[in-house]
Amino acid sequence: MPHADVVVIGAGLSGLTAATRLAEAGAVVTLVAKGHARTHWGSGGLDIAAPHAARTPADGVARLAALDHPYSYLAPCVAPSVAWMMERLAAAGLPYAGTLDTPIRRVPTAIGGTRRVAIVPQAQSAALRPWGRDEVLVVAGIAGYKDFWPLAIADSLAREAVWHGADRPAAVVGVSVELRGLGDRHNLNAMHLARRFDEGALRADDIAAIARAVERAAEGRPGRVALPAVFGLAAHAETWAALRAQLPLEPFEVPLVPPSVPGIRLWRVLRDRIRAAGGRVQLGEFVHAVRVEDGRVTAVEMEAATRTHAIRTEALVLATGGLSGGGLRATDDGRIVEPVLGLHVEAVEQDAWLVRDGLDPAGHPVEAAGVRADPDLRPLGADHRVSHANVHVVGGLLADQRSIRERCGDGVAIASGWRAARGLASDATRSPIDCEMADSARTEL
Amino acid sequence: MSIADIVREATELPVSRSADECLKCNVCNTVCPVLRVTDKFPGPKYSGPQGQRFRLAHLQPIGGPGSANPPSPDASVDYCSGCGWCTTACPAGVKIAEMNNQARARLREGTRPKLRDWGLGQTDLTGTLGVAFSPIANVAMRNRPLRRAMELAIGVHHKAPVPPFAKRTFHATWKRRQAKAGTGSGKAQPGPDKAIVYFHGCSANYYEPHVAEAAVWVLRRNGFETIVPDQVCCGLPLISNGLYEDARAHACKNAKSLARYAKAGYRIIGTSTSCTHTIKAEYEEMLDMRDEDTRAISAATWDIMEFLLDLHEQGRLDTGFGRLDEDLPYHAPCQLRSHGIGLPALDLFALIPGLRARDMDHDCCGIAGTYGLKREKYDIAMAVGRPLFDKITASGATVAACDSETCRWQIEAATGVRTRHPIEILAESYRAMDRARGTAEPPGA
Repeated sequence: MPHADVVVIGAGLSGLTAATRLAEAGAVVTLVAKGHARTHWGSGGLDIAAPHAARTPADGVARLAALDHPYSYLAPCVAPSVAWMMERLAAAGLPYAGTLDTPIRRVPTAIGGTRRVAIVPQAQSAALRPWGRDEVLVVAGIAGYKDFWPLAIADSLAREAVWHGADRPAAVVGVSVELRGLGDRHNLNAMHLARRFDEGALRADDIAAIARAVERAAEGRPGRVALPAVFGLAAHAETWAALRAQLPLEPFEVPLVPPSVPGIRLWRVLRDRIRAAGGRVQLGEFVHAVRVEDGRVTAVEMEAATRTHAIRTEALVLATGGLSGGGLRATDDGRIVEPVLGLHVEAVEQDAWLVRDGLDPAGHPVEAAGVRADPDLRPLGADHRVSHANVHVVGGLLADQRSIRERCGDGVAIASGWRAARGLASDATRSPIDCEMADSARTEL
Repeated sequence: MSIADIVREATELPVSRSADECLKCNVCNTVCPVLRVTDKFPGPKYSGPQGQRFRLAHLQPIGGPGSANPPSPDASVDYCSGCGWCTTACPAGVKIAEMNNQARARLREGTRPKLRDWGLGQTDLTGTLGVAFSPIANVAMRNRPLRRAMELAIGVHHKAPVPPFAKRTFHATWKRRQAKAGTGSGKAQPGPDKAIVYFHGCSANYYEPHVAEAAVWVLRRNGFETIVPDQVCCGLPLISNGLYEDARAHACKNAKSLARYAKAGYRIIGTSTSCTHTIKAEYEEMLDMRDEDTRAISAATWDIMEFLLDLHEQGRLDTGFGRLDEDLPYHAPCQLRSHGIGLPALDLFALIPGLRARDMDHDCCGIAGTYGLKREKYDIAMAVGRPLFDKITASGATVAACDSETCRWQIEAATGVRTRHPIEILAESYRAMDRARGTAEPPGA
């Protein structure tokens, strides 16, 4: 049976974070996942904490840390873990803009609304700057590409209401750009366009066509251009640099409905990093059973053709997500269960699943369902004691976060994945990889 | 009801019903190699779970009474190559590729199969005739005008990779050798801990007996004699071409011949990763065969690399590998991924001193069994594999490795780089050791 120091289940941001840090620390890591996760449908930005009324991510973290929330024990890890993550993304040619002290601002969405963000990929960052009184926003789409409809987006963004009182552009114009050879395609998705820019043969022509259309639409006014987030995967950095150099206005990418090209860029950076450090990333692995002896996980069994295939392990990082990620399942008889280990789940009674206002600013009660953990992220049983000594619960599976309302999903994922890896890496390699967190980090928040 | 029961009930859906789990997230569309290059295929999401809503209304077992030609939304599902990447990447556990395969079979039901599709399924017939007339057949298959005529007559593309037929089948050679040695009849057969049953499949039998010889040789070196019972094509080419009834007849013949060995504890080892996957998984999943004999042979079947790696994990593999100082680009075939066993060939290559094996990390070579042979799909298949071909050519290597025969032929035809089964590489390494020790013996001795 193959052996790993740590098996990570789940390929979302928390699992990737844990696996990256562990692999870099020299642990033998295998990340297994049923399939792709939220990287493929999220915005690619890092939502750290933006509860109602929070001014900055740091402010958001502080507000949530005062509640029953994973941040009540993870708050000191947020600054070092986010810095750690951004450093790695930048090193791979995917720089991010913003810090924990960047004001949370409203940026346009692909359906012509706005959403609140602070830390985003560099390519999305021009949307964060306050709008000047004379600035025009040109929304430029690609003809034939149906997931970014420039005229409808521009119409919507021209309405004051969608900006919720924030400053906004003086005018919004939509323009559709014809790119060579796309007219015949009737199945055009974000990946097709991203690969077209990666290949590069038509890149210069495409950028010139976009530049001409933007020039005409702007009519000499200052401003910025909103573009669909499709400008390259592997060759994103050079595509974006060329675009910035040639457009008459400063561009920013707007994340789209899935598949998310900015999220896939993020996934690829972390996957490559894990592999480069000797770790394994295996998709299509459905965890079938986990062997537990004396409260410790000893092996993870996965479905394979005709027989299960098992990995012996010293520790398990459970990064399977919450209800939407499949890390929790709701049953017909009103229970919410954790399917991998049968961990104790904190959840409201079924009667409370139905609420009068599903969009209540306080969040939906079922969102907070999950597994409670000790500060080392080990799962707690109904008796509030650690139920599995070598299991660490990270990301969306942690109870007491209402990530849709609190916009804290990426922050919890990164901080918990980083924190779990820190403890485990020291065990696996028998030499603590760093101790900076306890002392220096606490002063930062 | 235990948590395991709840999860089993929720996740072990039959292929056709797994469409209910689809979230419409588009992840499958991001990984589909065919959608990447052509508009003729609308993508796994549309042809799979979305089309399934229409098909479910008419859901009846294939071949059952009254199921003639129930409607499918359109015939574009025929452009699915069946590589299975969609199923691997799906976060919700939808069996998309399998669903497409069933939809294709249903589409074909009640109509006479195209001569070409029927013919591509008859690998035993083609192989037997080809080997019998190999001097003529091999010249004919390399004759351009004849291949063009063949394309016109039956729709096999004139450039499609077709390897030369062997002078004699592996099976015939083996029988002759056994007769000469007087084994197989009088002498007691070694037990399941000293011998394995070899499933050579069509490729090693009719085209690449050297692969079979290498397997026998490596197995003997590791203490296993080889038993070669009567067998027919596993049936995969029939399944891929929608001819389920014929495939069932093949499965029955194999079950009849091999089950007594499986029940006696012998392992069935194959060198064709697609044959072994068919026996392991598709007899039950696609052909709905659940009888005792079929189940016994499914459970006993191993891919040869999986088997050797298992030996190694038990500390029983002869690790006296000789030095091979070379670069070896490796392509992991799609069918191997469906086994869910990782990449055992790469783990074994890592034991060979000096060998620099490198995963080409490309999704699919394009051939997908018989897909890329077809006139209307040849260009698609070549476009799918193009990045892989370019990487292999750029590596400057003179030899590449891949576990699946049709992929090997495709890569070799497209790049001119000799492409070998991993077992041949292992055999070569053992021989290098023998040469170094001065104990070399002729292969097959």
